[in-house]
Amino acid sequence: MRKEAICYTAAELVELGKEQIPEEFQSAAQLVYSSPATLAYNSPGAEGFGVKRAGLSVPGSIMLIVAPGCCGRNTSSIAKIKGYGDRFFYLDMTDTDLVTARHLRKIPQAVKEIVDFQEEQGKHPSLVMICITCVDALLGTDMERVARKAEELAGLPVRPCYMYALTREGRKPPMVHVRQSLYELLPKQKKKGTSVNLMGFFAPLIDDCELYSQLRSIGVRNIRQISRCTSYEEFLKMGEANFNIVLHPEARAAAEDLLSRLDIPYVELTRLYQIDQIEKQYRAFGQAIGYEIESPVKKQEALDAVKALKTAHPDLTFTVGEAMNGNPFELALALVRYGFTVSEIYGTPAPEYYVYLDALAKLSPETKIYCNMEPTMLYYDSSTAKADVTIGKDAAFYHPDAAHIYWNEDIQPFGYAGVIRLMRAILEEVSP
Amino acid sequence: MKGLRKYLTPFAPDQSGAESVLYQLGGILVILDAGGCTGNICGFDEPRWSTEPSAVFSAGLRDMDAIMGRDELLVKKLEKVADKIDAGFIAMIGTPVPSVIGTDYHALRRMTARKVKLPILAIDTDGMHTYEVGEQKAYLELMKVLSEEKREEQKEKTVGVFGAIPLDLPIPSHQERIRQNLLERGYDRVILYGADATLEDVKGASGVTENIVTSPSGLKAAEYMKKTFGIPYQVEYPGADQLLADLTEEEPSLAFTDKKVLILHQQVLANALRQEIRKVTENRAEVSVASYFMMQKEDMEAGDHKLREEDAWIELVKEGGFDVILADDTLRRMTPQFSGRWISLPSFAISGKYDPSK
Repeated sequence: MRKEAICYTAAELVELGKEQIPEEFQSAAQLVYSSPATLAYNSPGAEGFGVKRAGLSVPGSIMLIVAPGCCGRNTSSIAKIKGYGDRFFYLDMTDTDLVTARHLRKIPQAVKEIVDFQEEQGKHPSLVMICITCVDALLGTDMERVARKAEELAGLPVRPCYMYALTREGRKPPMVHVRQSLYELLPKQKKKGTSVNLMGFFAPLIDDCELYSQLRSIGVRNIRQISRCTSYEEFLKMGEANFNIVLHPEARAAAEDLLSRLDIPYVELTRLYQIDQIEKQYRAFGQAIGYEIESPVKKQEALDAVKALKTAHPDLTFTVGEAMNGNPFELALALVRYGFTVSEIYGTPAPEYYVYLDALAKLSPETKIYCNMEPTMLYYDSSTAKADVTIGKDAAFYHPDAAHIYWNEDIQPFGYAGVIRLMRAILEEVSP
Repeated sequence: MKGLRKYLTPFAPDQSGAESVLYQLGGILVILDAGGCTGNICGFDEPRWSTEPSAVFSAGLRDMDAIMGRDELLVKKLEKVADKIDAGFIAMIGTPVPSVIGTDYHALRRMTARKVKLPILAIDTDGMHTYEVGEQKAYLELMKVLSEEKREEQKEKTVGVFGAIPLDLPIPSHQERIRQNLLERGYDRVILYGADATLEDVKGASGVTENIVTSPSGLKAAEYMKKTFGIPYQVEYPGADQLLADLTEEEPSLAFTDKKVLILHQQVLANALRQEIRKVTENRAEVSVASYFMMQKEDMEAGDHKLREEDAWIELVKEGGFDVILADDTLRRMTPQFSGRWISLPSFAISGKYDPSK
């Protein structure tokens, strides 16, 4: 038995082609290895935003988790994060509930009790999210109906959200569904030409992102993101937007809903770290909305930031993981195009990522690609590759002695400003 | 309302207890879930996970696997992993998903055994019970499947300990304290099942001199070893005297004499502390034990309480007239009106807080 982690080079993957992605990269074909590098996959809520935290994005909302005890166990770590204390409640399911579904009859009363409990403490919740899990997915629970009953009894909006890990690779994964559930609350209202929503993330874009100034320069006065809304009423105003900008593909279904229900069109922008591609994307965005969108000063600043790092440390070798704010293949390609070396990537190639992989295979064919979830990662040996800097929490796990840029903060990097921040963070980390 | 929690997050579930027993034994541990349970178990309830790698896997179940009951697909995955990973056994640990679809663990074990030449453990946890239930099941399955025929009595005096996984203990260093205490009593070797015991230790479990049960979860396995191999056992928590001294700043007798005391933890530890308090106060303390976890009726005294709901604890503290409470700090916010002395007695299974430096 070879005690060795299985990997493929970029050239090997491209040669096989996107129609023949090796089995080692397909989670459905094998058991999923559990290491700190896969925590974000197995338990998205453990770091960043999973369904529970995302479900509480609406200001003043609280959550009732209706599930077996095991599903709510890690919630105390979320409750420690500022702004989430005292917002989670639990209705434990027992094995009898599984057979009789009697827990469903208890939910409206439980919602009322937690609302009353909050009122007693001088808090006035705006919305109750009912979070249900795999068990109810299998029971086929109609939680919409239960939520309506709870709404009548408690006298405030009640929405379901579905932490169905079983459906994570299905048509509507949990993180897609939770976005739909939240934006469904937006009522039809008069549209304002000067309002735009940024959809996709549950934390705001970095303050210095050029997207804000670009939108302001074309007359947008209200740039709304769910995470910046300070009240339920302000959140509801997201329904007045002239158009939505979708920054994460998991928000596409919610944007489609808003298009059909509230007649709000949307455009999609991708987070990129290749400066020329960022520029190209802004140009296409401008054409779509009939304006010229550019940020030459910010672009130059990004170029300068890359140059500063390259000048100070021309021979840096990176390893890039997927537990970070970016696409590991696109970021690796950007780094290689800037003249750095990427020895390893820990990621899961999908057909749509081959646009990056094809280019990477040409420039850096020997870059090794591992799948965090693949069972032989138990035998991963860091001595087989050089790593000066790791990007991503998973990459840091594999190379503990390198300099680490976790790059997984809640506040989201985007555009030229994201490149600038990343380059400066790396420079600061590797400079003596 | 029954089952409604307003203050506390759910306690460590049975699947975490089962995983904890098996974590360091060099097997392939497969959590029969979609991924979230594995994330919770490893990322939250398993303190060794971030420093000591183990072959823990999620079955990666998807909705159609569950709906169609595709056990053969799971067996195929197990077969593949057994070819890639060097392991001494395979353990399948249940979660709510197999519970809902009524997975037949015996059949699954048989199907797997036909394809994989490794001992198979199947533990039917369901995520709806607390950790000690899974711990108990894992201990029993471990001994039934892996301990070998009665070995010749070893020359060295060896003691096996059931019930000292991190979830059972107030602080991590207690494993070492239990060991030291038993070594000082004259044992040559101490085997902590679920902690540092190796697969060889488990295989040779029939040759130990005696077993010690430090938590109710270890009782069934100890009884099994007695019945099958004639190994005697005792229920006790070695080192409770030291623990009590650590918990109080002053002399324990000063802290508890003529006081009404309530202890909340797993029953064996709480009972051991009660005995110590009685000893140091020369029986001049009224001590009750309460637990949210398994309690053996025969080890309960009048005034002891098996708790299930949050309200039961609130009521007990409100009506009990206690002067001193020894319990995890997480429970303190439930009873702000309690004016007596609160002594922190951590329970990782309740709080999820675990400080490896302690």
